[in-house]
Formats: sequence, C-alpha cells, structure tokens
Amino acid sequence: MSAWRRLHVKVRRAHGLFTSRRVTEQYTWMYGPSTLGQNLSTGKPLRNDFFKELEAQLAAMRKKAADALPGSSWSPFDINPNLPPERADIVIIGGGVMGWSIAYWLKQKERVREGVKVIVVERDLTYSQASTVLSAGGIRQQFSLPENIHLSLASADFMRNINEHLGVLNEDPVDLQFNQSGYLFLASEEVAHIMEENYSTQRQVGAKVTLLSPTQLKEKFPWINTDGVALASYGLENEGWFDPWSLLNAFRRKAMSMGVIQCCGEVTDFKYTVSMMTSPGGDPVVYKRINSVKVQMPKGLEYQMVECAIVVNAAGAFSGKLAEMLGISSNPKDTIAGTPVPVEPRKRYIYVVHCPDGPGLDTPFLIDYSGMYFRREGLGGNYITGASPKEADEPDTSNLEVDHQFFEDSVWPRLAYRVPAFEKLKVTSAWAGFYDYNTFDQNGIIGDHPVINNMYFATGFSGHGLQQSPAAGRAVAELILDGNFKTLDMRGLGFRRIMAQEPILERNIL
Amino acid sequence: MLKILIPTLLLIPTSWLAKAKWLWPTTLLHSFIMTLFSLAWLKNTSETNWSTLNPYIATDPLSSPLLTLTCWLLPLMILASQDHLAQDPLVRQRIYITLLVTLQLSLIMAFAATELTMFYVMFETTLIPTLILITRWGNQMERLNAGTYFLFYTLATSLPLLITLLALQNKTGTLSLLIIQLLGPIPISPSVNIIWWTTSLLAFLVKMPLYGVHLWLPKAHVEAPIAGSMSLAAVLLKLGGYGMMRMMLILSPLAKELCYPFIILALWGVLMTSSICLRQTDLKSLIAYSSVSHMVLVAAAILIQTPWGLTGALILMIAHGLTSSALFCLPNTNYERTHSRTMILTRGSQMILPLMATWWLITCLANLALPPLPNLMGELIIISALLGWSTWTIIFTGAGALITRTYSLYMYLMTQRGPVPNHMISMNPSTSREHLLLTLHLLPLLLLVFKPTTIWGSAY
Repeated sequence: MSAWRRLHVKVRRAHGLFTSRRVTEQYTWMYGPSTLGQNLSTGKPLRNDFFKELEAQLAAMRKKAADALPGSSWSPFDINPNLPPERADIVIIGGGVMGWSIAYWLKQKERVREGVKVIVVERDLTYSQASTVLSAGGIRQQFSLPENIHLSLASADFMRNINEHLGVLNEDPVDLQFNQSGYLFLASEEVAHIMEENYSTQRQVGAKVTLLSPTQLKEKFPWINTDGVALASYGLENEGWFDPWSLLNAFRRKAMSMGVIQCCGEVTDFKYTVSMMTSPGGDPVVYKRINSVKVQMPKGLEYQMVECAIVVNAAGAFSGKLAEMLGISSNPKDTIAGTPVPVEPRKRYIYVVHCPDGPGLDTPFLIDYSGMYFRREGLGGNYITGASPKEADEPDTSNLEVDHQFFEDSVWPRLAYRVPAFEKLKVTSAWAGFYDYNTFDQNGIIGDHPVINNMYFATGFSGHGLQQSPAAGRAVAELILDGNFKTLDMRGLGFRRIMAQEPILERNIL
Repeated sequence: MLKILIPTLLLIPTSWLAKAKWLWPTTLLHSFIMTLFSLAWLKNTSETNWSTLNPYIATDPLSSPLLTLTCWLLPLMILASQDHLAQDPLVRQRIYITLLVTLQLSLIMAFAATELTMFYVMFETTLIPTLILITRWGNQMERLNAGTYFLFYTLATSLPLLITLLALQNKTGTLSLLIIQLLGPIPISPSVNIIWWTTSLLAFLVKMPLYGVHLWLPKAHVEAPIAGSMSLAAVLLKLGGYGMMRMMLILSPLAKELCYPFIILALWGVLMTSSICLRQTDLKSLIAYSSVSHMVLVAAAILIQTPWGLTGALILMIAHGLTSSALFCLPNTNYERTHSRTMILTRGSQMILPLMATWWLITCLANLALPPLPNLMGELIIISALLGWSTWTIIFTGAGALITRTYSLYMYLMTQRGPVPNHMISMNPSTSREHLLLTLHLLPLLLLVFKPTTIWGSAY
C-alpha cells in the first residue's frame, strides 16, 4: 500500500515538470511534499531554483560584460534615475492599497501586454502616515447601503482566493492572515429596529449574518456583559480582519510585475487647460482638462512634468487638498465647478492592550453601540481597541501623536463595562492613523469628476477603504477602460450625489 | 528646376525674417505656391523621357511623381505642426521651419539628381534634419534611441554604397544616370560581383525598409513629431525605392539569381509585419508597421525588374505616401487632445468628432486598398507581376493583403466605434486646419483615380 502511494507521489511530481503549476504547488515541489501552505523550515531550499537565480545571473553577466568593455557608463541623460517618465497614460496619485489596487486591475483588464502605461506616485515609501498600514484591518459586510455590502463581499471573495489573483511566479505566496472571526455589532433598545432593517438588507444582498438575542449572545460569548444589549448582529463568514501591509505589498508586487511603474515623489501642481462652454440652458460651464502632473522629488527641488491622459486621485486623507490644486475653490461655492471634494483627514487612535484573562481565541471584532470597538490581535492575549470620538472633540490632525487620556476617559470605561475581564488590562502600545473622512456622507466616492474631465476618484471611504479596496479598484478600472461599471454598479457612489447635495448615509447603530 | 529650388532656398530667410504673427501663414502660402509650380513637372513631353534637363538636374516620369509628392508635402507638414509648436519660443519655431525646408531642398535635389554622386550626397543630407527633428522635438525619452537606430542603420549601409559608387566611376568613367542607362553590363570580376550587388542595393533596402533591417522604422516613426513622421513615411522611404530603381539598371545580369533571398525576405515581411499590426497597442506604432508592410511589397516588386513590377512599385509608392501621411495626421489630432496614443484609451471618437470619423474612414479604406484608389491599383499590379515571377508568391501576397485589410478595419473600429470613455466627453472640436490638412492628403488620392498614368512612371 505504501509502495503504491510512494509511486503515485513520484509520478505526480514528475508530471509536474510538464504541466503548469500554481504557485503553491511549485513551492511544495522545492521544499518537499509535506509542507503545504505555511513553510515552517528556516533552512535553505532543498533544490536550486533555476529561474530565480537566472535573473540574478544574467544581470551579473551583463554587468561583467559592461565592465570589460572600454568606455565609461556616463550618460548625459540620467540626471536623476528616480524621476518618473515624461509621459504616461494613467497617473495614479497615492500609493496606498486603493492606488495599487487600481493599478493592478488596470493591468489585469488591458487586453494586450503594455496596453496602458500606468504610473503610481507615492510621496512616502515608508508609509509612515498612510491610512492603509495604520488601519485596524477589519472587513465586514454589515453595512446598510447595498453598494457597500457588495464591495465588501466582492473584496472578501478576492482575499480568500488571493493567490489566484496576486500570486507571482517564483515568489513567495501571499499570506494575508485573514482571521474570519466575524464582526459582532451590539445594539441597544432604541436602535434595535435599525439593526433589524440592516440585517434584512444584508441577507438580501448575500452577506452571511445572523441576529442574536441577549441570551444567545451570552451563551455564545460568556465573557460579554449583556446589560443594555437588545440585539446583536454577528457575521458568520467573510468577516474578520487581515494584515493590511500584506495586502498592500501583494498588490504592489503583482502590479509591478505586470509593468506598473512606481515613482516616489509628491504631486505639487497640475497643468490643465480650461474650456468655457455654455450649457443648453444658457449657463456658462467651465471644463478643466489636466494636461500634465508635476511630480516633485522628495527632499529636493527636482521635478518632472508627467504628461498624462488620465489622473486617478487615490490620495486618501489628502485627496481634498490635491483636488484644491485644480483651482476648485476659486469658483463660487454653490456652482458645480465650485463644489470642493469633501475629503479631509480625521485622526483616530488605536490602543494595543494586554489582558491574559481576556475573552479568548474566538473573539469577534466587537462593536458596541457606545462607539467602542475591540478585536483580538495575535495569539498572546493582546487586543486592539479604540472608539470614535464625538463630533465636537475631533483630535487635531496636524500630527499623529496619541492621546492616552482619551483611552482613560472614553475607551476603558466602555470596554470594562462590556467585557468585565478587561477591568484588569495593561496598555502595551498605541498608534494613530488618519481616516480619509468624507465630510459629506462618510461613504466612498468612486467615479469621475463632472467638471475636471480626466480625473477619477477613489477616495473618501472614511475608515472602510481598506476592506473595499479590491472591489473598488476593479470598479475604477472598469470605468476607465470599459466606460462604465461591469461587475458591480457603483453609480450610487459617484460624484453626482455631492453635486445634487443628496447624501447617502449609512444607517449606523452608533 | 531653378524656379522651384531658389524659392525653396529662400524660404529659409523668409522663416527667419517674417514677423511672429505672420510666420506660419507666410511659410504656408509660400510653400503652397511652390507646390503649384511643381505640378508642371508631371507633364512630360520629351522623347528621351528626361525633361527640365541640365547637367546636374533632370526629371523623368520616374522621379517627377516623387518630386511632386515631396513638394506637396511641405505645406502639409507646416500645417500639421502649427498646433504643437504654438507654445515653443519663436526662435525654435523658426528653426523647425528651417529644418523642414532644408529637408525639402535635399529631397528635391536627391530625386532630381542626374549624377549618382549628387544623389548619394543628398541622400545622406536628408538624414541630418530628420535626426534633429526626431531627437529634439520628439515626445519621449526613447527618441534618443530612435535617432541612434535611424542614423546608424542608414549610415552603416550607405558607406559601402559610397565605395561602390567610386568603384563604378573608376570602371565606367561616369556616374551620370543618362549615360549609365545606355551602357552594357559592367565588367566586374566574378569574385566580387555579389559584394558589388549587395553593397549597391543594401542602403536602399534598409531605407525602404526591407523586413529584417526594418527595426529603425517603428522607433523613428513613433518618436518623431508629426512633421517628422509625415516626411519619413511619405518621402524618405521612397528615396530607398527610387534609388533601387535607378541602381538596378546597372546591375542587370546579376540580379536574376541574387535577388532571391531579398524577395523571400520581402514576402515573408509582408505577412509578419501585417500580423504585428494586429497586436499593437500604440496607434502610431500600428501605422509604422503598416508602412513597413506596404513598402516591403514595393521592394519585392522592384527586385523582380519587370515593367509591371516597376509600374506597380511607383504607383504604390505615391499612393502609400499620401495615405500613410494622412494616417499619421489622424492620431496626432487625437494626441493633441488627450495626450495619449494608446488605442484602449481613445475609443468611440465617432460620437464626439463625427467629421473626423469620415476622414478616418476614408484613410483606413485607402490603407486597406479599396478599389478604385491607386493603392489597390499598385498592389494589384505588383501582385500580378510577382505571380508572373513565381506562382507561389500568391500565398504570401494574398494572406498579407487579407491581414492588411483586417488591421485597417481593426484600427478604424477601435478608434471610432465602441463606448465613449468618460474622460473624452468634452474635447475641443476639430479645427478647420485639421480638416484642410486631411482634405489635402486625400484629394490628390481621389483625383489620381481618374488619371493614374501621371504616376505610373517610364516603364510603360
């Protein structure tokens, strides 16, 4: 029996040489058949990877040949090799997860190789202030707007099969550490009806959510104090949290392998042409068209004007400031041309606490009706927690300093009330990050601008951008390359609602 | 001849002395008047075929259509460049026009030369303004690479041509075309006759271009500014064809065996370059490869040295010159509006710019050799001549013609039909300058339907 099995394995391995294998299978071929998924060995691979070393060897040979030939490598044209090219088809401003997602989907949807030339401009490659990497990393489908639910559902599906989408040949597979532990929303008596309506919308769209009564809640999670809780909504599948840095890097690595150019620089100016036209009703309409983008090198005076056909604003918390460079504020506020892009940064704190007697490994991402939230982080009894501040006391957004008093005043009391085990905890660390807060209705803006003809937006997600980034990127790519949305209809999230002053607000319970 | 050369030369001081407001209208009008004068060359009443004869310059039915095409193209180039040069400083605009005029001068003298030495010198002289145009006014970093390819491909093969011409002068005592056509076979020692044959023709084959040495063409055409692309496509490629037609008179008995590999390369090139067109993402690149595929057909026709071959080659050269130049102007109108040449991003233009769609349609139909346009006449004559040379060529030319039609229609449908992208909604409407430019390209083409004998050369 075992001899037959051994023969089977040998045949399977030999066959592998002639068929194309997926990334994970190739991985196991080199490292041995018993290490599927996570590789736990820390030694070198068993066999040589011919192709990985081929690139390095060819580069070494070229360098050797160049050194052997006479002449110097001086060229009059390489002033600064970090400058972006002089022209590109699509310039994506902002190298966060949204920008790289759009870049990946653009390359995925072009029909021939090198169909479009895409550049992603990011001013800080350490991502020290980017919302993506400072996020808590949660994903949920428990929204009230069907568009939001669709986006999160599609993104969760994307992330479950991430290696099919973002796997690069001969590189390590992507591991998002997607903990599908679900979100748990707690509603008080006054807002329970909203939760029920949301629940029916979510079930209709296809999210796997269930409602729990307080007794069921206590049965499932005995560490919860159910005082004041009338109803709870628990996500059973496709909800949880993941590592945002891994997602960002996966998108970036895959997009760059498909030919997207990364540029480290800051966009400081636009060169645009203005055309004055009159609408059929006789009112003057001013259209702007961006001709080129001025990209300034970090810590320097050098800049490059990148001539482009389309600009995508994925600058996150700083999108509003970017759009201001196009002179929107010079027009009167109540005209179409004068409506500003209503995105501004809002600071939110996240505290890491250690509580050895805390809830346990099946803790969901709990969101209380008082505005407090927490989730498990890792396997060592650490939790991440925070709360949304009231409108009146929004923290100052000029820096990312953490206010620890906020934890003492607003977070810990609510935390300890809801989970009595958290009365004894220790704050180990904390950080702050920006939301790209849409002051209009706190939902994403996906689409083109009515007045600036060739600028597309994918910003203003106000805290749920990371979880919607794969699907939102696909939506923007469809808009650019196909002309309108193909898989998910995101017209409701376009700029039109801001022009018409019709907010589409999430009916939250908090 | 002087009545054309002197005004062309004096267009240079005109471009330097004209006032800023009148620079472009003046040069345009001046070059138009010269063009009208140059139409007189098309009438040939001489018995020996050579007219406007003087010791250095003459025209005959082979060179007069090419000369008229050259003169016709200068006002078109000036018209096409007006928009993108508008933001350049005045001095640079003047330099640009000077370069165009210098190119024009050298081209006229090249086509009209009676001495092969003068032809060679003018052949080389055309490289300089073109190189400056490509490397200075091109749009992307790759233009430096393009200029290098362009320069060195031509130079590497034309230096042997110089040696050949000097050797020819030694052997025969003359390099005048009028005398050479009357000489018998040149006494060359058999050990070097292959080298002799190859070096005489290689420069022109590279210029045509022949498939295999065509690599410079897509680069140069794509990176050049619009006037550079137009003159490259319309006239400079024809220099190669014209040179080949003249040189092959001298090389006659050798050509029967030695032309084989080049004809095979040319036929294979028709298939290959047309297929590459189907996979292009950049519009200008597609048109550049389309140029290659038409010109290799011309190369094959000249190499077989039959009367029908030479006639077809000349007709196709003129028709292709006008069509290709028009085809380069069209995506340039798109580029000036959207700053993008990729086909995926510039679609559905028919809804936004309907009259431009008409020009697109007529030009794409001309490119795919729709009857009764001279493109088809030239192609048909060439295909028949090749069929006479060998029956098997029909496979290549037939398949090549099929793929040509496919990619021409593909180009039309991709750019004009389809959903209009959101970023193209409010574009500036087509200017009358653009309409004039395209009319002036297509009108001669349509008129030539009625009298193709003007351009079918001296082989008949």
